[in-house]
Amino acid sequence: MLFRMIRGVLFHQKGKMLLIAFTIALGASLATGMLNVMMDVGDKVNQELKNYGANIVVKPKDSSLLADIYDVGESGEELNTAWLNESDLGKIKTIFWAFNIVDFAPLLDAQTELPDGSTVKLNGSWFNHHLSLPTGEELDAGVVGMRSWWDITEGRWLDEKDENAGEEIMAGATIAREQGWKAGDRVVLKASKGQKTVTVSGVYDAGGDEDEQIFGTLALVQELTGREGKVASVEVSAITTPDNELARRAAKNPAALSGRDYETWYCTAYVSAICYQIQEAIPGSVASAVRKVAEGEGAVLEKTQLLMILITALSLIGSALGISNLVTASVMERAKEIGLLKAIGARDHSITGIIMTEIMVTALLGGVAGYFLGFGFAQLIGRSVFGAAVEMKPAVIPVVAALVAAVTLAGSLPAIRTVLRLRPAEVLHGGH
Amino acid sequence: MTKRRMFLRMITASLLRRRSRMLIALLSIGIGATILAGLVTIYVDVPRQMGAQFRSFGANMLILSDDEKGMSKDQMDKALEGIPADQLVGAAPYRYIRVDMTTRQQSFTSAGTDFDQITKTSPYFSVEGRYPENPREVLVGKEIAETIGIREGSDMELTWQPAAGNAEGDPSEDRKPGAVLSGSAEGWSGGTVYVTVKLDDSSRIASLTIDAGTQTPEIGGLAQTDEAFSRQFVGKTLPLTPGEDVDALSGATITSTAVVEALNTARSTQDTVAAKTVKYTVTGILTTGGEEESYVFMSLEDMAGLTGSDIVDVAELSVSASAEELEAYAEQITGNVDGVRARLVKRVTRSETAVLGKLQSLVFLVTAVVLILTMICVSTTMMAVVSERRREIGLRKALGASDGSIRTEFLGEGMFLGLLGGVLGAILGFAFAQVVSVNVFDSSITFQPLLLPAAVIVSMGVAALSCLQPIKRAVAIDPAIVLKDE
Repeated sequence: MLFRMIRGVLFHQKGKMLLIAFTIALGASLATGMLNVMMDVGDKVNQELKNYGANIVVKPKDSSLLADIYDVGESGEELNTAWLNESDLGKIKTIFWAFNIVDFAPLLDAQTELPDGSTVKLNGSWFNHHLSLPTGEELDAGVVGMRSWWDITEGRWLDEKDENAGEEIMAGATIAREQGWKAGDRVVLKASKGQKTVTVSGVYDAGGDEDEQIFGTLALVQELTGREGKVASVEVSAITTPDNELARRAAKNPAALSGRDYETWYCTAYVSAICYQIQEAIPGSVASAVRKVAEGEGAVLEKTQLLMILITALSLIGSALGISNLVTASVMERAKEIGLLKAIGARDHSITGIIMTEIMVTALLGGVAGYFLGFGFAQLIGRSVFGAAVEMKPAVIPVVAALVAAVTLAGSLPAIRTVLRLRPAEVLHGGH
Repeated sequence: MTKRRMFLRMITASLLRRRSRMLIALLSIGIGATILAGLVTIYVDVPRQMGAQFRSFGANMLILSDDEKGMSKDQMDKALEGIPADQLVGAAPYRYIRVDMTTRQQSFTSAGTDFDQITKTSPYFSVEGRYPENPREVLVGKEIAETIGIREGSDMELTWQPAAGNAEGDPSEDRKPGAVLSGSAEGWSGGTVYVTVKLDDSSRIASLTIDAGTQTPEIGGLAQTDEAFSRQFVGKTLPLTPGEDVDALSGATITSTAVVEALNTARSTQDTVAAKTVKYTVTGILTTGGEEESYVFMSLEDMAGLTGSDIVDVAELSVSASAEELEAYAEQITGNVDGVRARLVKRVTRSETAVLGKLQSLVFLVTAVVLILTMICVSTTMMAVVSERRREIGLRKALGASDGSIRTEFLGEGMFLGLLGGVLGAILGFAFAQVVSVNVFDSSITFQPLLLPAAVIVSMGVAALSCLQPIKRAVAIDPAIVLKDE
């Protein structure tokens, strides 16, 4: 009998029930969409912040500072006696937080002499260097990703997949203008251990010191300086968690942490933890955080997340009020029906049971539809803003389910109570 | 007139009598308007608030001198006038010189700056200890501190040598009437002798100071104190030949020769300063992960005290503005202020534009989705509330009301609710935006005056639209059927 009554309501009052289901679906979709976006926004924004370039720099342990402090030019090269091995670089992608390493590029620089006697700094690096890791992962690493702010004003990016990539360079806008270089020009570079004729593949505008320098492949610089297989430093771009008090303590001295703190720190993607792991992976290296980038990322990330949480809270409250409002309205509307049921002898609790079941079934249907709709909204936002899908978080499902259930109950129960309190005769007579 | 009063009475009476249902309708419109007002306020304010966060990435504009000599503080201040004060987060002047730490035989780059401004332009500087506050205090980069084993509280003796005698070209070009020249030469046992000379109107030596620097006072130092020795130079014309033009100081021949050599190679300097050694106290160790770790930072005043000249090489500016605005400022500064040019730090401005753009479109899309869904929610509730009144509509019709008057009355009621809800929502929404702003960005939000009428119009529109459909249906039906409640 109960079943028939409920089915009767669902099918005969299709219009009204559809309206309720529709509103619940909208509310649920809003909650789902916002929760999904909120949970994923950190990762997405973090990825965008990689535009700022490296947030970790790896150098050999005994590197010299000397070369950095004394801008001594050629003789400076002799001072720098410590190197990292190019063959070790793949290890960066084998650390605990390997997945968070977005890109990296080695650097080896040399002073080179041009035919007119002037000197220019040549940086050897990877451009789109293909790596096949022992883990089976494949990736292209290098300055193409690490210098996203470069404007290629002429020519094209140097492509390492070309056969003669080793005989090409990219020139900064300033040096290219001074020397009158155009894409395709041939230039003779002379360094400490030899000379080579190279082709300018492109000119970049970096808006900084690098405009006065030139970039070539790592192999080219290694050959010109006789330092086969060596690199001077590595720039690493990693997705990190903003520092907190623990991270700051750990950055000073990881050994001073208690066992449990150490574990928490090691297993969180703090920039200091990633630096530490890189040092473990590459023998004889020192990895340090570029605070300029790391701090800025932390600030922006934290604020974005907080902002999204508050907007999500607002939309959750909004959709909750919206749903409960409509449910209340629909119960009120059925005062007559409830009066009739009461008049023919139905008990209060069975009336409540019937109406609640109807509404809950509607809410369930609406909620499920809303979840998928909301997921669609999340994807829409993800695709159009970040150009990537928003990850589907399973944690959202129970939250939305609980929200819809609680809100529907909160919206209908008090209303049913109010209506039940009315005298059947009055209600049926059409009074207020 | 009476008709209008009757209309108003009908609306208010119906609202008052049917309190609970109207409350529901009002509440739902209010929620919609709150969300509208709140989100739009946040959306409009996000670029400004977020932009401020992006200033953690450091300076985004540089002001450089047109020539090698550097610019004066006045020039820098004049350039800064080109940027609205409320957008200028900070402007740190920098001057770089080489200093020697003779006791350790080390040489460093020293940066003269304004520490108050540094905390604004480079919030990522992490100082162990504190920033210098008093004269003769320095902040030392971590790399230097580690190399020479300096700690917070240590003393550091730094020497500055004027770049004299090293300039290219023939020193004779500088020997103009009235010029001030300074030079240095290697004296006895590796020490350095510094001279500063002033020429008179006919390019002869008018006065001379000798600084024997680090040489032993008993030998080379005599050159500095022996007046007879220095007086013999006055009235002579450069270059001089040692032993012919001047007599060597007895017991310090090498130093005497060095003085002559220093004079012969002396170049013009703007100010007459010889090498100077000052003792500084280290107040903190700086960690940045960048090249700043190999600098010694001191205040510009201290650097002026050390070098005798007060110039600025570059000013780092942190400006909270969009890329287009920045470009306009840079162009304007370069064009309007003599001797300086402004340049953008592309790495920062480009990335900021990219990331901020994404964030803005994120908030925009979220706002749009939330708004659309909320508005639909509001209108479904309104529809439920209105369609419940079909009987009332039927009754009015049966009593002879025209379709038009029924429509006007019900629409009027809906729009009245919209007005109330809109005003309520705009106020609540602003309060919400304020809470968000204070919690997230630690600053208050700017009230958008246009938002109040906008929220009211939108809520009235939504309310009217959602009333339209149920009223139309009720009006179209035969009153008898509606009243019979089929």
